[in-house]
Amino acid sequence: LSAAVLWVAAVAAPPLAVIALGRLGLAVERLRGVAAACAAACSLICAAVFVTPTLEAFRVAWPFPAHPLVGPSLFRVSVFSTFLLPLPSALWLVSVAVTPRSRLDAAGLQRTAGATLTATLAFMTESPALLLGLWTTSNLLLVGALSLTEHGRASRVARAYLWTGTAFLALGIGLAFGASGPARVVGFWLVIGAVLVRKGIVPFHAWIPEVFDAGRMGPIIRFSAPQLGSYVAVVLVVPHASAAMLRTLAILSLLTAVYGAALALVQRDARRACGYIFVSQSALVLAGLDCTSPQALAGSLVLWLSSALAFTGLTRTVLALEVRRGRLDLTRYHGGYEQMAPLAVSFLILGLACTGFPGTLGFIGQEMLTEGAVQEFPAMGFFVVAAAALTGLAVLRMYFSLFCGVRATPLRQALLRREVLAFGAVTAVLIVGGLLPRPVIASRLQASHAILQDRRELSSTTR
Amino acid sequence: VSATAQVLQTAMLVTYLAPLLLVGVLAAAALVRRGGSETVTAIAVRSLLGVAVIAAATGLAVRLANPSVPKLVSYGTWFSFEEEAFRLDFVTDVPALCFALLSIAICGVVAAFSLRYMHREPGFQRYFVQFAMFTLGITLVALAGSAEVLFAGWELLGLSSVLLVGFFHERPAPLGSALRVFAVYRVSDAAMLSAAVLLHHWAGSGSLALVFSGGSTVAIGPNRSLAIVLLLLLAVAGKSALLPFSGWLPRAMEGPTPSSAVYYGALSIHAGCFLLLRAEPLLAGLWVARLLAALAGAATAIYATITARVQTDVKSSLSYAALTQVGIIVVEISLGWTTLALLHICGHTCLRLLQFLSAPNVLHDVHELEDRIGGHLAPGDRHILRSASPAMYLFALERGFVDSLMDRFVVRPFLVVCGWLDRLDRTLVGYGSGGTRS
Repeated sequence: LSAAVLWVAAVAAPPLAVIALGRLGLAVERLRGVAAACAAACSLICAAVFVTPTLEAFRVAWPFPAHPLVGPSLFRVSVFSTFLLPLPSALWLVSVAVTPRSRLDAAGLQRTAGATLTATLAFMTESPALLLGLWTTSNLLLVGALSLTEHGRASRVARAYLWTGTAFLALGIGLAFGASGPARVVGFWLVIGAVLVRKGIVPFHAWIPEVFDAGRMGPIIRFSAPQLGSYVAVVLVVPHASAAMLRTLAILSLLTAVYGAALALVQRDARRACGYIFVSQSALVLAGLDCTSPQALAGSLVLWLSSALAFTGLTRTVLALEVRRGRLDLTRYHGGYEQMAPLAVSFLILGLACTGFPGTLGFIGQEMLTEGAVQEFPAMGFFVVAAAALTGLAVLRMYFSLFCGVRATPLRQALLRREVLAFGAVTAVLIVGGLLPRPVIASRLQASHAILQDRRELSSTTR
Repeated sequence: VSATAQVLQTAMLVTYLAPLLLVGVLAAAALVRRGGSETVTAIAVRSLLGVAVIAAATGLAVRLANPSVPKLVSYGTWFSFEEEAFRLDFVTDVPALCFALLSIAICGVVAAFSLRYMHREPGFQRYFVQFAMFTLGITLVALAGSAEVLFAGWELLGLSSVLLVGFFHERPAPLGSALRVFAVYRVSDAAMLSAAVLLHHWAGSGSLALVFSGGSTVAIGPNRSLAIVLLLLLAVAGKSALLPFSGWLPRAMEGPTPSSAVYYGALSIHAGCFLLLRAEPLLAGLWVARLLAALAGAATAIYATITARVQTDVKSSLSYAALTQVGIIVVEISLGWTTLALLHICGHTCLRLLQFLSAPNVLHDVHELEDRIGGHLAPGDRHILRSASPAMYLFALERGFVDSLMDRFVVRPFLVVCGWLDRLDRTLVGYGSGGTRS
């Protein structure tokens, strides 16, 4: 066994261990402890790629005769994916640490481990067929989490959109990598369609706020935050797509970024507002990925990390509040700042990171994205700025509603230490990343050059 | 010269590091001990703002004694990508150092006042963390040598301002007002960021030294300069409450009086004027921009002076009086009278600060004055205006209908369109999944 195969096995082992222990009937609180330890271990193993020269650019070859649907290698870690690898397990750790006891169950912990494994493996492959398999698995995990009767409506909406997207992807991959001529072009348009559905880009966005609203917050957060759709766009679309395809994708994404932020501002319910904030954030990331400027692309990659962390933290704070107060209506003030000051401050900083506030990693990403985008498509910069302005307003409105005002009844439960630590850690990462951004920028710029190099090499065959 | 430059560089470093450290210390103190400690806060505020004042004064003294020392102090690059570098540059010419010294000194005075004013107030620690953020923000705005530093300061200023407007967050009114103020600030911030991005894009650098020297008009051409200036004007109009954005000003008076004094009487409301003053060389040859600035300033001054006369509370009255002067300052800048404008900013800042800080005592002062003169003081302009021109009185009483016009033509259409889109989204997912949800 090569070092690379052993490393892949090591990455997969912690989530598999949690799934296995869950199946064996370990008590839920114990399973949470094991899951936290496994998530930390998985993060460290994924981060080992930075310090292990042999893992920096590894490949696990496909042992059978080559096929375009499988690609040249089964697994491959490139300069693009190295920074993304620890992301799913870091989000897993946060999720395990802050999930309230009342919402915790063994099946949920296993699904979270499964979702983490799926996302991590997806970030390690560029094989179209394997990506399709992991994409489908991740859909199954979300649909499974929404299978309870009270989420019936959300489940129906999610199934309708997700399976449509999966059908687009399957057909698209088949045509794009298995056919030639016009069928190949149609194939790439279908893959783009799948990405649009998965990421909730206008006009395929309506399912995301609905699932946030009527479904379960935890599963949809872990489904959406790593942004598998963006990864598929980078790996399958950007290297092959024509300029027109990328331009269409960028325009739709920019419209969505502003649209999502504007609708987040007028929502009456915190969950739905979170859904629209995700739509906006996710669209901003995709907008930059569709640029052929290395700066914009790198900015988008930085924004990807920043928005994944900030959005997860933000929505988890909403979830932590919801457990203590019930459904959160944004048309009134809920109070409780004095009892939950650390949560309130974290919420504000995480929200500001989503808007690109100076001093956070979000600022670096948005600045790079805007600078890069303006060079090739000046109007794009203004869309980014408008989206950031509207998101900022939406976040402050939520902050005032959720934490300010007079609390009519005492809180059911004070903030737990593990919650304070988890939210504090996410906030600290975003601030440190924003104040000392050079390593992240250097890595993402290198990745963006590599992606564009791939595109240049492959462009003649696609067009 | 190099030794002098070193002293200046060190002084500047201390000038903006002290408020930064203050934010860190106060935030850490609040985290370590819930609610913080008034003693620790008082020591930190007095010592660090004292150090910052001394450093800024040293910087100004060095500059006045050695005009040949380079005006741009650079602390390297914050981050860079490709050919773009985001530099930590600070301008150390006389106007910048004057405004920085004035700002930090005023922050120091108001902080000392606030230590007593806010004593045992719930949220004492929160007030000082936000106040320290403001001090850092205004210092960065005063000394910014690059568009990125300016934007960071501009954003900090806005955020701290809004959080202090909503300081008494148990009541809904301050929160509503804070959100309203933030909405205008977001427009201002968006304009500022757009200007910064365009400057970077067209000039290939975010250096404000180029803008402040007027070199960018030559470098990027008049049309592009006009676009940047118009965006800057929009940013200034938002931050300094020029028409049509004046509606937020009285709403911002919901915060504690010391913060109102420092924000809307003294510094924050002048931050836009100061930025326009620095960018004045960019206006050279751009008569459209000059005309627009003059019109905005003059209209605001006339509007504010009429409105100020009928206000029924002292803080609103003072804020409109301050706005009158802000409008006049903008007119001065548009006419190119920059030295007068700088003096006007400094003088007006101090006067309004004093008036705002003594506002809670105004009834006491009036009664004392009436006791001494042995009669009642003459009634204000309010009655004269009411009898002379009822229409103008109504206009003033309704604050020029600025808020209602903004509601009618901006807020309501936005809400209607978004509400319609929201319903459309709900309907879209309603088909085939159990009907539309309300």
